[in-house]
Amino acid sequence: MSCGVVDEEEFCRCCRLLLQHSNGVGDGWSWEAVRGSDEGYLKKTLLRSVPAERSVPQKHKEPGSDSEKFDYCHLQTEEQEKQGVDASSDSLRPDAEEEDDGVCGAPAGSSSVLQFEYHILYSCSYRTPVLYFRASTLEGRSLTLEDVWRTVHPNYRLGLQSRPLDAITQQEHPFLGQAFFYLHPCRTEEFMKPLLQMARDQNRQVNYVLSWLSVVGPMVGLEVSLECLKQQQLHPTTPQQLRVPLRGSIQQPKTL
Amino acid sequence: MTSDISGAPPSAADLKLQFAPFSSALEAGFWHQLTQKKLNDYKLDESPKCIKGYYYNGDPVGLPTRLTLEFSAFDVDAVTPARCCPAVGTLYNTNTLDAFKNIDKRALLEKEAKEMWNAICSGAALKEQSLLSRFILLTFADLKKYHFYYWFCFPALCFPEGIKIIQQPSLLEAVFSPKQVIALQEAYDDLCVTKGNTAVPYFLIKYTDHTVQMAPLEDWESFFTMTKKVTVGFYDPCTLSQHPGWPLRNLLALLANQWGSKLDVVEVLCFRDRTLQGSRSIQHSVVFQIKLPGLSSNSGCPKSVGWEKNAKGAMGPRMVNLSECMDPKRLAESSVDLNLKLMRWRLVPSLDLDKVVSTKCLLLGAGTLGCNVARTLMGWGVRHITFVDNAKISYSNPVRQPLYEFEDCLGGGKSKATAAAERLSKIFPGVNAKGYNMSIPMPGHPVNFSQATLSLAQMDVEQLEKLISEHDVVFLLMDTRESRWLPTVIAASKRKLVVNAALGFDTFVVMRHGLKKPPASRGVDSSPSCSSASSSPSTPAGSAPSVPGSSLFSNIPGDKLGCYFCNDVVAPGDSTRDRTLDQQCTVSRPGLAMIAGALAVELMVSMLQHSEGGYAVASSSDDRMNEPPTSLGLVPHQIRGFLSRFDNVLPASLAFDKCTACSPIVLDNYEKEGFDFLSKVFNSSHSFLEDLTGLTLLHQETQAAEIWDMSDDESI
Ligand SMILES: [Zn+2]
Repeated sequence: MSCGVVDEEEFCRCCRLLLQHSNGVGDGWSWEAVRGSDEGYLKKTLLRSVPAERSVPQKHKEPGSDSEKFDYCHLQTEEQEKQGVDASSDSLRPDAEEEDDGVCGAPAGSSSVLQFEYHILYSCSYRTPVLYFRASTLEGRSLTLEDVWRTVHPNYRLGLQSRPLDAITQQEHPFLGQAFFYLHPCRTEEFMKPLLQMARDQNRQVNYVLSWLSVVGPMVGLEVSLECLKQQQLHPTTPQQLRVPLRGSIQQPKTL
Repeated sequence: MTSDISGAPPSAADLKLQFAPFSSALEAGFWHQLTQKKLNDYKLDESPKCIKGYYYNGDPVGLPTRLTLEFSAFDVDAVTPARCCPAVGTLYNTNTLDAFKNIDKRALLEKEAKEMWNAICSGAALKEQSLLSRFILLTFADLKKYHFYYWFCFPALCFPEGIKIIQQPSLLEAVFSPKQVIALQEAYDDLCVTKGNTAVPYFLIKYTDHTVQMAPLEDWESFFTMTKKVTVGFYDPCTLSQHPGWPLRNLLALLANQWGSKLDVVEVLCFRDRTLQGSRSIQHSVVFQIKLPGLSSNSGCPKSVGWEKNAKGAMGPRMVNLSECMDPKRLAESSVDLNLKLMRWRLVPSLDLDKVVSTKCLLLGAGTLGCNVARTLMGWGVRHITFVDNAKISYSNPVRQPLYEFEDCLGGGKSKATAAAERLSKIFPGVNAKGYNMSIPMPGHPVNFSQATLSLAQMDVEQLEKLISEHDVVFLLMDTRESRWLPTVIAASKRKLVVNAALGFDTFVVMRHGLKKPPASRGVDSSPSCSSASSSPSTPAGSAPSVPGSSLFSNIPGDKLGCYFCNDVVAPGDSTRDRTLDQQCTVSRPGLAMIAGALAVELMVSMLQHSEGGYAVASSSDDRMNEPPTSLGLVPHQIRGFLSRFDNVLPASLAFDKCTACSPIVLDNYEKEGFDFLSKVFNSSHSFLEDLTGLTLLHQETQAAEIWDMSDDESI
């Protein structure tokens, strides 16, 4: 770790530590082993409530867009009208006769909820961890890259976009082969170098993956708990006996 | 959800308990799995199916109370995620939208409610608590459009007069001491261990100032010895501080039915258990007290509610359009795009992909070159590709022409142009490919045998003119030199980009034609003195009178560049004269067409990336060391390749003012007289064009040392 990169062995060790701590406090990280290999990745799913103005647009159509993907609500109405599925039709209002007074009103909806799935993988070419993620609505529809950019907090958006390469891009997941988004690792070494140097100056051991995650995670809504970061300072030496569980050996804990 | 929006705040005396309903939450994997089930298992079977979801009590404040279904929902034995409670449901997947619409929702709900009520009255629900949190999911999967209609129902039994709150909800930390909170958490964890689970949906509590005891619901009789006041806990997915979540509702029905009359006060713990910033807490759980009315078995099944409101808050189904992520054709399109975008994101950030993808390409010739050009265009994401060819596919073609198969040769062979277009659509349905089975009239190939042949030629010319107008780039990929003449003239006149590729045995030329300035400015800056130039050091003979020295040939702007015919001192059309050797020799090394076809497309792409497009100054071999003019590199005029040496050179040559195809006099005649002029060219010998352009005067008997018009297309 003389420079800003990390080798694969150290990456795995850091992941094991992160997992151990996460399991202790129910932070929701799990290890997904890749079938037929000893490789794998850390995974966490998270629900995020995104303010309406940064959420998936429902009513407008992006100029030049060739599809109705931005226009779910409109399509729904149109479709329902065309097909005769109409909310006012009696057959569709099973509860219509009697209002239920045992239901509490939902708080005014100024935000919408999105499901995010984060994966931490090792990149052999950059020799750094890479953050992959995907997101969908509660209906199960995946977000497009444009949608994802919209969910990024404005404070981070500018910084991410002004990088030489748009930092959030689409990329095929190396293990799953499905389209994911990822934070481009081209700058990782650059920002990790001073961070590691500082730790070394203070004679402090760092968990590379955790430190890296605390920098890149928040950009895409993944906060790293202070507790976790504190933990790594309290316990600079690491228990070697903890192993990343292999496929099927434990039930994957999952927290939403 | 307007029931509690009323004017004056209700007095404490008539405060009724209200529950936070479930919101359905579906993962994309659920829809993928439903699709698989429908296609492979259910087919037309509409009978109810058992599915499984789960809910979680650890959400941060602000998230809706959710019931989540993921891809594993169809596997009833699947492991529920840790610290989550399972919920079992019934799936009704209809075959038609009408069936979805017309199915009796009231009856579905009542059936489910009745079963639950029976389980409550019999006491079965005490042991089988999953009966209290059942759900219904009604779906219709439109697998042509990948539209999924769905409607959830979370059946709940109602108390006719509601449930009276005796003590308002408050946070656990306000009611319990820190010590009690810890004891409660430990008791719950112990109960989980006892039950062999990571979550327990319902449980019983007894506590003192220092201790907390917990027992499973089914132990009621032994656990509660006195029933004036009892405390029950439930795993609460709700995050609202003033309301319990939905799972409590049917538990209270159970308690009211079994013990309602004996209970004075029921204290309820809404057990919420979250990890924030890495530390676990249950302090935000909610406690309140109620008075339970009786719910006698004799009075029959109570009223039931539970259909979910849609996104607009109305009672109605939801629909999600997943064509983007499920339709194979859309997937293919987005994957093709993704591949190209990766190139831009990772390697060439300034690459203007839209310019390439939106380019309409006309491929004249669907043989070896045409097939390879088309495939490379597809690789670049070009969506609009049109073929023109009049040949049929012969037995020798498929091995060299990658868009054809053996089957295409049978019965006399399919037309190349249409077969090529069909194959492109098979390779990638997102492409807009068309084929025109037509011939291109050629100089020296008379069309005036009869009125019929003449008007046929006229129609062909008009069709070709129309096609060239409708496209952005014209590829000349034919196997004869003469057939390139007409499209060269038309495209020059219409100011279209032309990319030309021609093959010898082991040599090739790929070039872009000079792009004439728009008509208004032409003539003003034309410089007749700069009449001609040598095309390349490799073809000294057969070239127009050459000017030695390279300085003249560097930095030639696109509008001054020559066309395919500029370097020739004989007009096209006399394939009998002095050229027989070349015309007979119609084979190339097999790799040559792939190389040349690929280079033709890459030249087009580089040209499109240049800010001046077809007017870009020609790069030469010498520029290989300089700063490239585009993000992709050089934009040469010609690429001449020598396979025997595995070498390419990048010559550039000026437009020749006596060119038989692109000189002003030819274009003027074509633009003024149209088909009359063209038919003269078709019907006359080559000397017509040579006389017209003044080439005759200049003519020397020279013979091309290298001729580039060869083809491996042996079909005759
Ligand atoms: Zn010319």
